[in-house]
Amino acid sequence: MPPPPCALCTTNRAAIVRPKDHSKLCKSCFITVFETEIHHTITSNNLFHRGERIAIGASGGKDSTVLASVLKTLNERYDYGVELTLLSIDEGIKGYRDDSLETVKRNATQYSMPLTILGYAELYGWTMDQVVSQVGKKGNCTYCGVFRRQALDRGAARLGIQHVVTGHNADDVAETVLMNLLRADLPRLSRTTSIITSTPSTSDTTNIQRSKPLKYAYEKEIVLYAHHKGLDYFSTECIYSPEAFRGSARALIKNLERVRPSAILDIVRSGEDMAALCGPAPAHAADDGGGGCGRTESSDIGGAVAPGLEVEITSATVQKRGKKGGVAYVAPRQGKGQVMGKCEVCGYLSSQRVCKACVLLEGLRKGRARRGVEIEGGEGG
Amino acid sequence: MPGKHLDEDQLCARCGDNVSVLTVRSEPLCRDCFLRYVHTKVIKRMESFRVRNAASDRPRKVLVPVSFGVSSVSLLHILDHHLKTQLAKTGRTGFDIVVAFVDSSAIETSPDPELRASLRDRYINHECQLLPLASIFDTDAGSTILGEYIPNMDSVEPSNPEEKLAALINSLDSATARADVQSTLRTRLLVQHAKSMDCEAILWGDSTTRLAEKTLSETAKGRGFSLPWVTGDGDSPLGITYHFPMRDLLKKELVSYAAMTDPPLTELIHSRVVTQSSTSSKNTTIDELMAQYFDSVEENFPSIVSNVVRTAGKLSTPSISGSPCGLCGNLAQPGRFGIEGWGGTQQKDSSTSNTSNLCYGCTRSLPKS
Repeated sequence: MPPPPCALCTTNRAAIVRPKDHSKLCKSCFITVFETEIHHTITSNNLFHRGERIAIGASGGKDSTVLASVLKTLNERYDYGVELTLLSIDEGIKGYRDDSLETVKRNATQYSMPLTILGYAELYGWTMDQVVSQVGKKGNCTYCGVFRRQALDRGAARLGIQHVVTGHNADDVAETVLMNLLRADLPRLSRTTSIITSTPSTSDTTNIQRSKPLKYAYEKEIVLYAHHKGLDYFSTECIYSPEAFRGSARALIKNLERVRPSAILDIVRSGEDMAALCGPAPAHAADDGGGGCGRTESSDIGGAVAPGLEVEITSATVQKRGKKGGVAYVAPRQGKGQVMGKCEVCGYLSSQRVCKACVLLEGLRKGRARRGVEIEGGEGG
Repeated sequence: MPGKHLDEDQLCARCGDNVSVLTVRSEPLCRDCFLRYVHTKVIKRMESFRVRNAASDRPRKVLVPVSFGVSSVSLLHILDHHLKTQLAKTGRTGFDIVVAFVDSSAIETSPDPELRASLRDRYINHECQLLPLASIFDTDAGSTILGEYIPNMDSVEPSNPEEKLAALINSLDSATARADVQSTLRTRLLVQHAKSMDCEAILWGDSTTRLAEKTLSETAKGRGFSLPWVTGDGDSPLGITYHFPMRDLLKKELVSYAAMTDPPLTELIHSRVVTQSSTSSKNTTIDELMAQYFDSVEENFPSIVSNVVRTAGKLSTPSISGSPCGLCGNLAQPGRFGIEGWGGTQQKDSSTSNTSNLCYGCTRSLPKS
């Protein structure tokens, strides 16, 4: 029996069973449909505006590579009039990030986009390899997550860019919805599903937006798209693997997808609806820690469930900003009246006197000093 | 953990007199203290049904649906015991129980009728009723569901509700959809029955574990918006009050409880066989996947189970501005986000024509036509 014709064009032979709804499509229709859906996500949520400069958080992994490729295609096809640039964070993980950064460098050439690489070493004086040698593999994802979210903001600010897009896909969002239910984190539940979030800023720093154009794209379809477009991406897992518990949520999502393909989108939908039942998003602190890398399969940039900083952008908050003359962002308050201020050490946004990154750095420095003493003592004895 | 036998010389942490028989939340307990622990957890949730709150002329009635699972049988047993205590202490009770069983033997293997007989014999003081699931079609809600959402119903002999039910269930395209619609119909039937019996509330038997399962499976079925109603104590959009008196007890604790009562409840319990291997099968339902997931979570991380229930409990009840879903009856907000991303089309979901007053979750279960 010959293969059935493509369900869309009805002329070509179907070559792909779409993971999202099991429809049988030919290669070119699949690519068109995949791109069109992302275009639809971008336009229906008004993610971009003409003349905007946008930094793509690029790790060299499949998600951010597909994101860069699709955004370039769509920007040309639909004339968004946006200026795209690649922004990579070098966490300093030998055997992982150094290799993936080579991929990003090739992508920069392939897509003719400028590339900026910013390292933890330069920003914080610590590479992740050094952090891990100090704190061990357990819990190191917290450091990486906290550092990365600041790093992306600082990178964007350095480029004078106010909008960073990340490669979070539907599987990531669904997984995060389940994880936040499992760990009873309501404030984060209300943030993770919003497609566009913002780091509120104090008046003298720029207000940087984050968005997830791949929010409704299935991981399996991203892999298929990358494969059929012959994209050049890096597919090794981070060598400092994340929490086991997240792995169980990931496995659950995969099982759900097998039983009912729409389940991933259905969880995203549930998450969006539940966010509406969480009350106004609290300014819940730059300092609630945790987060971590958030990925089992790829440690994409921005893969971290950002610890706390993000605030959902809704029409209400935008209005509020408007009333203030667009100058300062008024962070929504928590019950206790938590107010966003500046870190006394680095000046980054923080709800506490000192921001989380600086607290972690201080801990690392103390640890190093203590260890130094021990070693000295050992040598002396 | 319950069921695990300990060193013989370890004393109960509460009374200090007896030898403990199991460990509950890191405390070794003797049998009596464990039974008291379970009862207290439930009775604490029944504060509003104290004797002093009951009018002397007209008894308050509540519906207790029994599925012959460990939780609902234990709930009935505890409530029965509680009423006897109230009666002994004050000469009257704070409320009366109406027991209801739903018979879904038309579409699935059901508990042995003998179980019903033994349960009736044992709790002889309470009114018991058997409701065939197909009798949902005698109600207004049921006939609306039939007329509006089920294709080709005309061809089925209208006088036979069992056949209608089977046709309805068979028209659904997945095990998940069948299980989902079936449990929705069961809920609606019980609500209908509770109202017709003048009950002011339904007391559901869900344990912490079951509520956690329900939270994640409703989330996975796209019904996250309904969680405050379907897992929380309070008014349901179906027009009756829900209570979940077992919400502070883990399923494994109830399994231990059922084996320790005198005589044990185990003989009244219908055990559903869930095979672990079915995880990979297409015929597994989302509910079964969640049950399996929480079986292992309950074993290894019991605090996670209550985390989930606590999170769901913190969600505020949605505003009553939506219109009721034609199938599940929850008040659904019109589509805002996710469905637009569905299916790869620029148009709205093409199936919305005949399913427009369904909530997002129910559109997933009903056949697209």
